[in-house]
Amino acid sequence: MANILSSLISAAGALDAFTQALDVTQNNVANAQTPGYADQTQLLTAMPFAPADGTTGGVRAAEVVSSRNQYAEQAVRQQNALLGQAQQNVTSFTSLQSLFDISGNSGIPYALNNLFTSFSAWGQTPTSTDARQNVIDSATDLANAFQQTATGMAQAAQNNGSQIDQTVVQINQLAGQLAGYNSQAMQDATPDAGLDAQINSTLEQLSQYVNFTASQQSDGSVTVLVNGQVPLVMGDKTYALQDQPVAADPTSPNPNAPPTMSILASDGADITSQVTSGQLGALVNLANNVFPQYLGTGNNAGDLNTMAKQFADRVNQLLTQGNISDGPPPVAGVALFTYDTTNSTNVAQTLAVDPTVTADQLAAISTGPPEVSNGVPLALSALADPQSSDDEINGASFTGFYGNMAAAIGSGLNGANDSLQVQQSALAQAQNLRQQVSGVSLDAEAAVLLQFQQAYEANSKLITVLDQLSEDTINMLTATS
Amino acid sequence: MPAADTAEHLSAARSEVKRACHLLEAASPASLEASSSALERAVSGIDDCRRGIRPGVADADVRAADVRTMLRQLRADLRRAGRLLESAADFYRGWERILGAMSGGYTAGGEPAAVARTGKLYCQG
Repeated sequence: MANILSSLISAAGALDAFTQALDVTQNNVANAQTPGYADQTQLLTAMPFAPADGTTGGVRAAEVVSSRNQYAEQAVRQQNALLGQAQQNVTSFTSLQSLFDISGNSGIPYALNNLFTSFSAWGQTPTSTDARQNVIDSATDLANAFQQTATGMAQAAQNNGSQIDQTVVQINQLAGQLAGYNSQAMQDATPDAGLDAQINSTLEQLSQYVNFTASQQSDGSVTVLVNGQVPLVMGDKTYALQDQPVAADPTSPNPNAPPTMSILASDGADITSQVTSGQLGALVNLANNVFPQYLGTGNNAGDLNTMAKQFADRVNQLLTQGNISDGPPPVAGVALFTYDTTNSTNVAQTLAVDPTVTADQLAAISTGPPEVSNGVPLALSALADPQSSDDEINGASFTGFYGNMAAAIGSGLNGANDSLQVQQSALAQAQNLRQQVSGVSLDAEAAVLLQFQQAYEANSKLITVLDQLSEDTINMLTATS
Repeated sequence: MPAADTAEHLSAARSEVKRACHLLEAASPASLEASSSALERAVSGIDDCRRGIRPGVADADVRAADVRTMLRQLRADLRRAGRLLESAADFYRGWERILGAMSGGYTAGGEPAAVARTGKLYCQG
């Protein structure tokens, strides 16, 4: 009788354990689409079985374990941060590219070409008032084009700064949420799959914005460190980031240059160099490297300002060296362009044609010797196709220099688009890998590693061969064409 | 070789590289093995294309600019394949270190122990 009762108790215990296992499975199915959720498994423990001693065996439910693999989660977050960076770069460079026309139908290249044409036409009719007026009108258009491009660029830099503000706010908000979840996790006696899902979903969101590592603590909380070094969340505390514009050094050549941007840790330490990817990484790179290249820094006027200044100075120099009439007494020409001479980083935005200059004041006669009646317009026309280093910027013509600026933006956009495509694949790959390693045994993983090693070596060699073959083929085509 | 043939070979090679990328995205050892075959077919496709181009002879049938563009696109896809292969390799290298540390602890230098290959047979069904 006792045996029958023991068997019944044992069977009831087993049923209880299987019911719990079914509940866990049902919960997994119900949460299949829950962001951040990882499958749970109900572990079962065999009970001692020794009939002689009256121990009837059976099975009992042990703890519920998560299939989450922190290493795989970190790999996904790392790729997500790189994807966030690529997406931001595509958005920002697309907007910048619209400021730099390369078709020659608008903006600076169009206005520059028209001005060169007007110089050339003036050279053919040096005394024509219409030709001179056309030069003034075309120069005005060019000055406006510089102003529009520089203003557009400055506006884009300002928007970039606002986006940095917003991104830092979003990062801090997510960090606050994580600290809240940590607080709950630290109070819970047993792991809560729902809370775990919320934590991981929030970490994945955060990874779009900034690069970080997250490590699970024994008390159930996660510690989040920016770039694996700077605390962002520890236990139930948030260490908020801040962004701060950094003005140019007052003792630098351009103290009024546009500011760069710093990211500060909660203790005020500058951690800009730690922010390497995510949306914030892209925005900070744009603020500190891309915009300054065009708009200038404390020590550098910026390409757009350099071009505006050198072009304006060269045109003014040629005009003021010439004469309006050879007299007697000879009447010297006047400068055409004006700009803010107090700030080298403000030249392009302030470039203008002197409103007091009239067509009659444009000097056509180069004083020589020998004196040439259309020497100045001819010299101005030559700016289109420089024969002297005086007519160049850094060894390039003005058109070529502009082309290089536009090409750098275009190249940035191409690189960002390529990177976006690659990162989309890399994220999908990391998500697949996470799926594959969830809950696998050590033996299974060791076998996978061996298989992977062989496949990796074969693929690696083939990619090298293909790369070489395609490069050789391009070279062959270059030789034939 | 007519331009159509050259373009066809290149297009086929590019499709194979794209297929390899797709397989690399899945990143299981089985799909990595399958991607080797795709890359082998891509090598063969480019080889066929090269035979149609004679160095130093401008072939009117081959529109060099178009072929160059296709080759550049192919190289962009190759870069993507290379990047995916490297990121999978990074992932598995990391795993290997974790497994090494879990199964064999750390060396005197603080490095994870090498994963022991015990010759066990593992079957997956």
